Amino acid sequence: MNFDLDQEHLDLAGGARDFLSGSASPAAARAALDEGAGVRPGRAELIKSGYATITIPESHGGGGGTVLQLAVVAEQAGRVLAGPSLVNFARAAVLLEGFPDRLAGLADGSLAVAVIDDASPVLDAIGSDTFLTLRDGTLVCGPGEVMARRPIDATRGLGDVTLGETTDLVRDARPLWRKAERVGRTILAAEGLGAAARLLEMGVEYAKERHTFGRPIGSYQAVKHMLVDVYVAVEQLRSLVWWAAWAADRAPGELPLASAAAKAAAATTLELAAETVIQVHGGIGYTWEHDAHLYWRRAKTDRFLLGDDVAAFDEVARLAMGEAAR
Amino acid sequence: MDFDDTPDEAAWRAEVRAFLERHPPVPEQPRAWQATLYDAGFVGVTWPVEAGGRGGTPMQQAIVDQETARRGLPPLINLIGIGMCGPTVIVHGSERQRQRYLKRLLRADDLWCQLFSEPSAGSDLAALRTRAVRDGDGWRVSGQKVWTTLAHLADFGILLTRTDPDVPKHRGLTMFVVDMKAPGVTVRPLRQMNGDSHFNEVFFDDVRIPDDERLGDVGDGWRVALTTLMSERLSLGGGGTSIGPKPEAVARHVAAHIGALPEDRQVLARQELGRGYVAALGARYTGYRQLSKLSRGELPGPEASAGKLSGTRSARDLTDLAVRVLGPDAATGGAEWQDMQALLPGMAIAGGSDQVLRNIIGERVLGLPAEPRADKGVTFRESIG
Ligand SMILES: Cc1cc2nc3c(=O)[nH]c(=O)nc-3n(C[C@H](O)[C@H](O)[C@H](O)COP(=O)(O)OP(=O)(O)OC[C@H]3O[C@@H](n4cnc5c(N)ncnc54)[C@H](O)[C@@H]3O)c2cc1C
Repeated sequence: MNFDLDQEHLDLAGGARDFLSGSASPAAARAALDEGAGVRPGRAELIKSGYATITIPESHGGGGGTVLQLAVVAEQAGRVLAGPSLVNFARAAVLLEGFPDRLAGLADGSLAVAVIDDASPVLDAIGSDTFLTLRDGTLVCGPGEVMARRPIDATRGLGDVTLGETTDLVRDARPLWRKAERVGRTILAAEGLGAAARLLEMGVEYAKERHTFGRPIGSYQAVKHMLVDVYVAVEQLRSLVWWAAWAADRAPGELPLASAAAKAAAATTLELAAETVIQVHGGIGYTWEHDAHLYWRRAKTDRFLLGDDVAAFDEVARLAMGEAAR
Repeated sequence: MDFDDTPDEAAWRAEVRAFLERHPPVPEQPRAWQATLYDAGFVGVTWPVEAGGRGGTPMQQAIVDQETARRGLPPLINLIGIGMCGPTVIVHGSERQRQRYLKRLLRADDLWCQLFSEPSAGSDLAALRTRAVRDGDGWRVSGQKVWTTLAHLADFGILLTRTDPDVPKHRGLTMFVVDMKAPGVTVRPLRQMNGDSHFNEVFFDDVRIPDDERLGDVGDGWRVALTTLMSERLSLGGGGTSIGPKPEAVARHVAAHIGALPEDRQVLARQELGRGYVAALGARYTGYRQLSKLSRGELPGPEASAGKLSGTRSARDLTDLAVRVLGPDAATGGAEWQDMQALLPGMAIAGGSDQVLRNIIGERVLGLPAEPRADKGVTFRESIG
């Protein structure tokens, strides 16, 4: 067993960090809220970089890489609140497996694909022109009309979609749908990991600088211990994300539990990190100008995507009991 | 990244399994069982060969631990010796001490205990008062230790003493190996909140210790103790996942009882199982990351404390759920889970309390400033005023 990123992954993360921190930022997320500016780096740039299409086979114009590689990139995307999300790319790459033309369109950007879930708002509906959904067990694809929602987090492009005429792609598609959903949950959790890890850095930095009563606030246990709890949660989330991504590539039997655990942990960890870091900053943390609330918005939005955390915990429990009963 | 056993690891696992199959343990004879395991090469796997160990890898030890846990075998009786006392003797002991003690410790021919905590020194270990005074070619020790696990059975202990009260408190300490059967050593069992008596008070009344039973230099006891505490972290490897019940066992138990609960309670029970289970998986997989680091030869850092912290929390939450799905009957029944429930509060105190671990992680991992301390820059004698 060797449960750690390889050098290849670390190099990939470094490259992705350079690209994403140069092309996306919390400031851009704020501008999206303030002025309705487009998300950064935006779909075209993400595709050009090659990062968005890592899991599409090379034969169809993608990177031919692994879910783990995409997760490594997604963490970096989460750090800077990049958009659009890598989740739709990951899901669509699974769902469109048997459809070379559409896959190629996804890879070259001629199709802007979003996946519609029953119970959740549609992620990155804004800017998408092609929609995939499951209707009575059949995977269907079609154009749609998008009605933007009032965003809590403008980087998520949430909207309602009214589907136009659809084409049936796969009958009895439930297993395929589930697999795609689980890969999507894994990538969503990886983006959450990046956001939470970045929040922790912000909180720790500030706790070292800010003095009250003649001492840095980070020397007070009430502050220190809150940040430690965030640290522990972030590291555990990191382990769950890597495990889920590895399972998606190598151990499909473990993917249901691993991806549900990662999704649930991402929702609670990002929320804990955001609320903690606002508190650690005091008044300045409650301002529009401070970055903390942009991450907080991400937390308050992402928890509802691909099923909420309550659903994910329930799924973990059911899987755990089912496995135990076997 | 790869979770599968390497061919070497798989072969080792098969060897361990085959052995465990052929040799069921005898619960009433924990010492004999440890000796049997040792003779087969499955105790002290990572210890150097010169120290009586096998010179193996942390991964090999982890596989032994996994396989014994899988069969529901209890931990070895001499765990404190193997995890803490032995490694301290390996690093700081003389050749004579290593020859005399280590192999016997691994075979449980001798049992060991760790004599650190005192009535006025637990989290603040360096505040300890047990005095060791020079006496010819040896020392005379007087004082009291407390919470000493296994002292009532132990043959030897590592004993942290104060040899110089007139320097700052971390500097005047010296470590010894003490013979628990020596004249002047009195052990009085204490009863824990769960009714067991695994820890003790130990009184030292002018106990003579030869100088060649010193571990490390005079006045260097704090550094020696840090070796012990570091090894404790290592032996808690697996990220604290050896604490409390296995999450799978809790899930099995909940599955067996959930059907009898009203619908709304079932929903709640699943939420709690989900939360506890995710936390336990998080701790388990974080433990795997640490194990992988150890296998590459990296030292266990302070981040290993996170496993004990979170492992204790999720064990308590899951055990609480296990008790509660029994319904009101749990007030009088469900002994297995009640016992576990009464054991776990001690885990949040022993080996560094939750609060102390948070301080350690906050300061050494996150780099947050330490608190101001009232005992800085003064001698031990001044600090106790
Ligand atoms: C089951 C069990 C087995 C044990 N076995 C052994 C053994 O074999 N050998 C041995 O030497 N010891 C042993 N101990 C002792 C253990 O190491 C101490 O109990 C522990 O270090 C705490 O010390 P204390 O009991 O003096 O509590 P204190 O240090 O007095 O702590 C009391 C409370 O204050 C908090 N506190 C203390 N300092 C700080 C701080 N700086 N910041 C925030 N909070 C703080 C603690 O978290 C705790 O909640 C055992 C304890 C238990 C419960």
